[in-house]
This record gives sequence, C-alpha cells and structure tokens, in this order.
Amino acid sequence: MTQLASHKKMKTLMTNYYIEAKTTREKPIAWVTSGAPVEFLYAMDVLPIYPENYAAMCAAGHQSLELLEAAEAAGFSQDLCAYARTDFGVDITRGGPANGLPPPHFLLCSTNICKTVIKWYEVVARKYDVPLFIVDTPFLHDGLTRDVKDYTISQFKDLERFLAKFLNRPFDHNRFIDVLSLSRQASVYWRQILYLCKSIPAPINSLDSFIHLGPIVTLRGTQACVDYYKSLHEEVTERVRQKIGSVPEEKYRVLWDNLPVWFKMSRLGNFFEQRKCTLVVTTYANSWGGLSDFEEDRAGDIYQAIAASYLNVYINLGFEERIKYLARLIEEFSLTGFIMHSNRSCKPYSVGMYRLREEVSKLTGKPGVVIEADQNDPRAYSDAQAETRLEAFIESMRPISS
Amino acid sequence: MFQPFHEIINNVSRTILKYEKELGRPVIGVMPAYFPLELIYAAGGYPVQLWGNNLPLEKSDAYLQSYCCSVARSVLELELKGIAKMVQAYAFTSLCDTLINLREIYRRLFTKPTLALSIPITQTQTARQAYLKTVLKSVTTGLEKITGQPLTGKSLAEAADLYGSTRSLQRKLYALRRQKPGLIKNHDFYTVLKAGFFLPADAYNRMLETLLDELAALSPPQGRRPQVFISGMVFDPLENYKIFDDLKIDIVDDDLANGWRTVSKESLRVENLVEGITQYLFNPAPCCCIYNPDNDRHPYLLNRVKQSGADGILFWYIKFCEPDAFDRPQLMNRFKEAGIPAAFIDMELSMSNFEAIKTRINAFCEILAG
Repeated sequence: MTQLASHKKMKTLMTNYYIEAKTTREKPIAWVTSGAPVEFLYAMDVLPIYPENYAAMCAAGHQSLELLEAAEAAGFSQDLCAYARTDFGVDITRGGPANGLPPPHFLLCSTNICKTVIKWYEVVARKYDVPLFIVDTPFLHDGLTRDVKDYTISQFKDLERFLAKFLNRPFDHNRFIDVLSLSRQASVYWRQILYLCKSIPAPINSLDSFIHLGPIVTLRGTQACVDYYKSLHEEVTERVRQKIGSVPEEKYRVLWDNLPVWFKMSRLGNFFEQRKCTLVVTTYANSWGGLSDFEEDRAGDIYQAIAASYLNVYINLGFEERIKYLARLIEEFSLTGFIMHSNRSCKPYSVGMYRLREEVSKLTGKPGVVIEADQNDPRAYSDAQAETRLEAFIESMRPISS
Repeated sequence: MFQPFHEIINNVSRTILKYEKELGRPVIGVMPAYFPLELIYAAGGYPVQLWGNNLPLEKSDAYLQSYCCSVARSVLELELKGIAKMVQAYAFTSLCDTLINLREIYRRLFTKPTLALSIPITQTQTARQAYLKTVLKSVTTGLEKITGQPLTGKSLAEAADLYGSTRSLQRKLYALRRQKPGLIKNHDFYTVLKAGFFLPADAYNRMLETLLDELAALSPPQGRRPQVFISGMVFDPLENYKIFDDLKIDIVDDDLANGWRTVSKESLRVENLVEGITQYLFNPAPCCCIYNPDNDRHPYLLNRVKQSGADGILFWYIKFCEPDAFDRPQLMNRFKEAGIPAAFIDMELSMSNFEAIKTRINAFCEILAG
C-alpha cells in the first residue's frame, strides 16, 4: 500500500467514530446499509452504524474467520453473504476490533446494493425487536426513469415522517440541506481523488482507495468527512505534481471490479507491485463518488437529485450500462486490462460477470480476467489459484507505452 | 389415476409442443416466482412455469457461477441446450438478486424478449401502488408486443377465472391430503402439481376435476404413519418423494414457493388490477423472498405446522438460496422453543445420488418416532 500521511488521520477519524458509537448516550443509533440515504439520519442527529464497514474491518484485520464460524455454529449457512455472517458472528461473540457494535434503536436498509440486505436486516430486526425502514430502490433494467425516481422520493418523504415520529421531533429540513451540502462536498473530493489516478503514473492505487474509503462510507454528511478528504486530496494532488507513482515502476494499469478481497490486501498489494501493475480504478470505490452527487445548482427538486444519486449505483444498473461504464473507465484511465472479482458473497456484483468480461474485452480490445474469491471468507480463496490466473493475465497485457 | 400426470412430466417438451399447436399461442417461460400467469394468458400467451430441472449442468457454467442456485442454472441450461426452442419469451419477477441478474444475462445472450415484473416492497402504500401501476403497464405492453394480441378486460376476467379455478382445485387436493394423510402417495401428489406447470389451465383443470372425483371415494391406509411438513422454495427433485413413500412417511402439508405459497392465492381480482396484483403478490402465504412485515412468515409458519398436525418440519433447502437460508436459524429456534422437531436437508436439482437424502430423512423420522 502507498505510504500516505493521511492514513494516520483516517485511522484517528475512524477510531473516534467508533468510540462515539460505543459511548454515546445522547444520539440514537441506526444500523444502515452502505447505500442508504444517510443524510436523512444526520439531519436528525442519529448516529449511523454500518455493519458492512465493520465486517470489512474484521476481515482486513484477519478476524473474520472466527466470526464466520461463530455464525455458522449458530445455524447460519455458509451460502450466505460473508458480510452478514461476519456481522452475525460479531453479534454473537461481541467480536472485532471494537468488541461488537452498539445495539441499534432502528434500522435503515436500502436495496440499491442488493436485495439480500433485506433478509440480513430482517434477522437483526427480529433479534433486537427494533423497527426496520426499507427504502426500496428497484433494479434499473432500463436506466433511470421518472416513475422509479418518484417511487423512491415517496419513500424518502415517508422516511422523514418515520424519523419524526420515532424521535418525537419534526424533521429538520434546514439541517438536512446543510448535511446534503457536506455530503456532496465530501463525495466530490472523493471522486476527484479517485480521478487523479488518471495520471500516469497513478499517485495511489485501488488498494489505497479501499483503505481510505472508510470515512466516505460511514461519515458522509459530516464536516469531519469533508475536512479529511480535502486533506487527502491535497496530498494526492501533490504526488501527481511531483509524479510520484504508487508503484515504483508502472508497466500495467488495470481496473478492479467488485469488492476487494479484504483479507488479502497486503499480499495482493505486494503481488501487483512486484509485477509493476497498478490497480488504478475500481467500480466499488467509485460508487461513493456518485452516491451523494446531488446537483445543488439545479433549480428543480433536490429530492429528484437525491433519488437519482441513490438509484444510479453501479450494481443497481442493467448490464448495458455497466458495459458502457467499464469501457469508459478503461479508456479514460488508460488501462491495459481489467480484473473482475467473482465474489461469492455478492451476487448482484458477480452474477453475469463472465458475460460482462467477454463483452467488455471484445468492445475495448483489452484483456480481462475473472478470479474466484470472496470479500470476507478466507476459506473461499486460494492464493495459488488466484495468483496463477493473475500472473497469466498480467502476461497477456501489453504494457503502457512509455 | 395418476398416470396422465406422470405422462405429462415424463414428456414435457412433447406436451408443450402439442398444446402450442392446438392453442396457437406463443409459449412464454415463466421464471420463479409469482409472475401472474393470468396476465400472460389474457394477452394471448401460453404460460409454462420453469422451476428448475435435473439436467446435468454443463453449458450454464460459462455464464453462472457454481454459487448460484441450481434452479437458475438448470433453467439457463434448458435454453443453452436448445431444449427450450419452443419458448418465445421469458417472464421474470424481481424475486432475488440471482434472478434479477439472470434476466440481464438473458438479454445479452438471447434474442428472445424478456419481461421484468419488479415487485415493490416498500411499506409506503401510495408509492407502491403508483409504481406497480407503471410496472404493470410496462409488463402488459411487453406481453402484447410478444403475442400480437391486446389484453382486454374480458380476456383478463376469463384468465382470472381459469387460473383461479386451477388453484381452487389444487387447494381441494391439499385439503384432501390434510384430511386423509396417506391417501395420495407423496410422489403422486407432487407429480400432479408439477404437471400443472406445463399444461394449459383448462386441460389441467379437467384432469384435476377427474382426479378429485376418483379420490373422493377412496380411503387412506389404516393407522397413523409419521407426518411431516416441508418448507422451501421448490419441491423438486421428485425422486425424493419416492423415499418418503418407501419409508411410509406422509407429507401432510407444505410451505413451498411452487406449492402452497402459490396454490393458496385466491383468484386474481381484476376490477382494479393494481390492487388485485398487490393482493396476489403479498397474500395469503408469506414468502422468504418478498418482504412483508404485515404478514410475518415466522409466526405464520409455526401456526401452519401446528394446524397441520405434523410431527415435525423439514426445511427443503436448495443450495445457495440466500433468502431461504437467512430465515432458517431463527425459524429453527422458534420450532425448537415450541417443541416441534425441525431439520433441514440441502438439495441441488442436478443431484443423482439420493442415498444421503434417504439417510437424513430416515434419521429425522427416528427423531419423530422417539
């Protein structure tokens, strides 16, 4: 991973976030999905907790296996998403780096990342006997339409009513506008940071972006998040100015599609660096660049912008859109190839990947490879198998012209 | 008595081709689950339900990972092997992530049209109704384009009558099974249901009426045998029911997506189609795949098992079905607390060795006997 001064700031920020989560007596706690419209919660001073983020931290810290096994011992099938299983294991053992998550007062689940989250959150709602609010964001088989946006907006309005009733105070629209602005500023900085990797050499790589993703996921809507990404943006911009690359010698530039293999970040980092291959862009990290990109200067309805933003998530898009998007990234980031992680835990991201690889490769003329792995479960991964495939893939690429 | 139904399921392609010719309607393959067949029929189509099969999975591996369920993989296998040549189009619902993406795969691979009925699951009623209205408009327009026929109020009412009758007759069969356990062999029972996937409704309804008449006069075997309730997404592989029959176990009721969860649905109300489809999708039997907090599946299932008088419940789990698997631990605990024996059996539709299943079922029944 690239040595960045901001890394320490990020760790402090995230540590403070989890400390507040564990110790707050004033703020109600909501468990939320990573694609949920969290701005509604920050507007009402609710503290959002992201079980997905915590599960990722557990896997990155090599703690996920014992948590998965605890969940499985309690009857949760190994066929289930490993984020959910990790979370169930955390709940059972009070495990992970923060010794478990604070219990929720309510749950907010949006289906823009998958429909499986509904089942996950149903389990949690039953266990904790707390309300579950679902924002149903239908899959965009044919792009963003007015009726899907209207459907989503109606639910946003209902969410406001739910929050007002649950917290026994009116929904704070003024605060909401401020939060939206903060959210947007952070997302714009994040997107700009990611797009700095169009430079050759790339100043940071995708594994760095996976690590630095924490605040935009969990703190989107806060001033601290804006300040952090402003600072990171300055640091990465300076690296571009000085032409400091993430890997000492960049011969290959690739895209990573799907979530990371959280428990193999270091090993994969070294693997790619040794082979002079930079992971330059990812669909996963990019998602938070568009998530809160509300066009505030539009004279129209801000809710239309929020709905569009939360509906247009990559894995909520039909394959035609995904292919075009991947091809565009390959072009814009001057890529030599692309890697698709067939992630056993994430069917919306992975099902159809074999065909997508074929079509994108044909369309762009760039080689693509699929590796079979999992975001959180080390038992679903083989170093030898993955690296053999990646090795062959790297050899198949034409290096960037000097 | 059951031979005509066995004939159908042993000659599926021939059956479909025969009726396609007779009816002069395009065959539309219906993916799991709950796509209202009435809409297809009313628009001039011949709906055929695809709940998976036991084909060896060879070609589908190129498009679907091994961690996708065998329902999705085996249905794709049909099309890839050219066995589904007679199917002109496919109808999907947004049942789960795999099926949502499978529709996209079909759009890339095949020229056959596909329809997507997006099931809105928000609790915001007005939003749900408004959105469903646009979804239904898109689906019915799509159907009319495929069949070249308009969907009218009259054709919809006729279709609702026909398929409403089907489910009403099937419910009579279920009632008979509950009242007279052992009267109908388990393998025969599910063969009857399965035949209905491939037959046009009026032909099937006549067969069901004849069967019910014949069964009315019969008595079940003497003595009470172990009684089991099964729950899951699909009842296949049918071969398993021969095991239950050999072991003299009576399945007295079920909670299967292609069994009671569909059969229990009342006739589609068509005066207000949005309300009718809403009622159809969400009632009466909750499904693990459709979020419905007003009809919580957990107490519902416990009640049904208690009412059935079954000695225990077997969860019939198709591997990699996440919606089903998520529910399992809390459901199993609920049954444990109620003192009702519960077990689960993993299944793949392409399996050919049933010895392990036989051992599991036997072991479960020994628990019931104990």
